[in-house]
Amino acid sequence: MQGQVRIENLGKTYHARQRRGLFKSSESRVEALKGIHLAIQPGELFGLLGPNGAGKTTLIKCLTTLLLPTSGAAWVNGYRLTEQDNLIRATVGCMLMGERGLYWKLSGRENLEFFGALYHLMPATRRRRAAEIIDLLELGEIAERAVETYSSGQKMKLAFGKALINDAPLLILDEPTNTLDLPSARELRAVVGALNERGKTVIYTTHIMSEAETLCDRVAIVDRGEVLALGSVPELKASLKREAVTRIEGIISNAAARAVEGLPGVSRAALAAVNGHNTLTVMSPEPRAVLPRLIEALTAHQAVVQKIVPEEVTLEDVFIARTGRTLADDTRVK
Amino acid sequence: MAAVLRPSLAHKLSAALAETRLRLLNISRYPGQLAMEIIIPIVFASMPMLLGRASGGGAAAENFAANTGTANYVAYLLIGSNVFTLVSNAFWHVAYWLRFEQETGTLESVYLTPTSSLTLVTGVALYSAARGLVAAGLAYIVGCLIFQVNPLQGDVLLALAFIGAGLVPLYGLTLLFGALVLKVKESNALIGLMQWVVSFLMGIFFPVAVLPPLVRLVALLFPPTWMTNGVRSALLGVGFFFGEWYLDLAVLWVFMLFAPLFGFWVFNRVERNVKRNEGMGQF
Ligand SMILES: Nc1ncnc2c1ncn2[C@@H]1O[C@H](COP(=O)(O)OP(=O)(O)OP(=O)(O)O)[C@@H](O)[C@H]1O
Ligand SMILES: [Mg+2]
Repeated sequence: MQGQVRIENLGKTYHARQRRGLFKSSESRVEALKGIHLAIQPGELFGLLGPNGAGKTTLIKCLTTLLLPTSGAAWVNGYRLTEQDNLIRATVGCMLMGERGLYWKLSGRENLEFFGALYHLMPATRRRRAAEIIDLLELGEIAERAVETYSSGQKMKLAFGKALINDAPLLILDEPTNTLDLPSARELRAVVGALNERGKTVIYTTHIMSEAETLCDRVAIVDRGEVLALGSVPELKASLKREAVTRIEGIISNAAARAVEGLPGVSRAALAAVNGHNTLTVMSPEPRAVLPRLIEALTAHQAVVQKIVPEEVTLEDVFIARTGRTLADDTRVK
Repeated sequence: MAAVLRPSLAHKLSAALAETRLRLLNISRYPGQLAMEIIIPIVFASMPMLLGRASGGGAAAENFAANTGTANYVAYLLIGSNVFTLVSNAFWHVAYWLRFEQETGTLESVYLTPTSSLTLVTGVALYSAARGLVAAGLAYIVGCLIFQVNPLQGDVLLALAFIGAGLVPLYGLTLLFGALVLKVKESNALIGLMQWVVSFLMGIFFPVAVLPPLVRLVALLFPPTWMTNGVRSALLGVGFFFGEWYLDLAVLWVFMLFAPLFGFWVFNRVERNVKRNEGMGQF
């Protein structure tokens, strides 16, 4: 078998019943994964980057045996998915849904020890493991308190700790920094990095470009159930080498953005709203040449330009180049 | 690496007991619930007792003896209402466990672990049986004292044997019910309906012999019916269905073999079906 995780042509279709009135309902199909191929090597810190609704959680639920895939096959830690599910579960540490996966009436330590038991650790071992994790994540002060009294950041930390209880060689983390503030998120990423250094393979899901960029060795960019691009961060950026990125901040309408996209010499233009400002990302092989035309088009559409910044290519640009959308767009399959 | 790849029986037992402990920790944070569980069966049984006194007058006990085989209607009704408590608790606890964990999100966490649903249900059943036995035992004794009859008459050990043998198939059946809860994602209405059907079939307040033949047949396919009658026969001598205690107990043993197997088979199928569709976490 090649790789610690191998995914071959994995597909998942949800059949959701939709209510139409009291007695009528119709079935709608959502193709959340469309033939995913991936191989993740031992020791890798592998990122799954994609916007909301891309299918990241669905893929993780399939790999952790919570969902049966509709098609395809996968091997996790050398075990065949759907045939050796218990062995997969025993050798994976997973953080899914964050704080919702904990017993809020129990203390942090009780939670860790309980899950330790479900991973078939005997009492002495699970007590030791729980204590180690409480130390590692600096949860000592709150460990004996009921989880319901934790702040949401503390709950997330404990949920992360729960993924470590069985000391598995593979960690699968679904947006572990989701509700954390910036310093706590940085801290958690540092712990993930350190665990990876010590040999754990990590699959890290996020819709935040900078997170994947700073943390991951290799990244798969997923959108609408497909892998759009796959490679190391430098490789992915290099794939856009011929393009330069210009970011324009200000008050920019959708119509203005569309006008820019239509300009000769512009290959992509995508608009994102951040804190009331709009940022227009423009890709072009010849940015200096298109700049006058670009400003002309924007002013013609009553845009107010506050800042024009030539920038380095980011992973988000890779996404924009392939889809014409930004990662902040909700791309849930309708 | 700490991961245990081939869990032994000791590992599994330890996981089941952790589940039992978790349930107990959880309920210990709601003490009012336990007091209720002792009071309700007594109140429940006192209603027909008072009705009996009102309609049967001074001859109530003789009339009752003519139809049921014992004049001790107080103990008869208390046994009925307490076995019912055991049965309805079993259904409640298993269904509520699944439903509650599905809604709070912990069910997915539990399904991420290698502990099988068989082990988990064993843990929940241990907790539920312990809680139910304590509540039913206390309610029976307190009820007997209130109504001034001797609670420890007849063959108490045999009565306990019937309860023990009845609990295993009972929890097997709760799995069918748990599967239904997973599938239709709704527990309260189901439990409510279930309670009334069960209380009717198992003869809380009357011998199943008074049921019409077809209904009686259905009632006899239901282990708690045998449990109730076994306990009543052991303590009050109302008469076993097959005449001898060991024959009735043997019937429960057959249930003990098949009900859990059938329950698990159905539960596993529903589990797979749910995983094939939307997954355990959807509610
Ligand atoms: N139970 C379900 N029934 C029907 N459709 C579903 C179900 N769960 C998810 N989907 C759909 O499948 C697609 C992928 O969802 P998924 O949760 O895997 O995305 P995601 O990449 O994890 O997104 P996010 O970043 O928002 O967590 C979405 O279009 C979603 O609406
Ligand atoms: Mg997700």
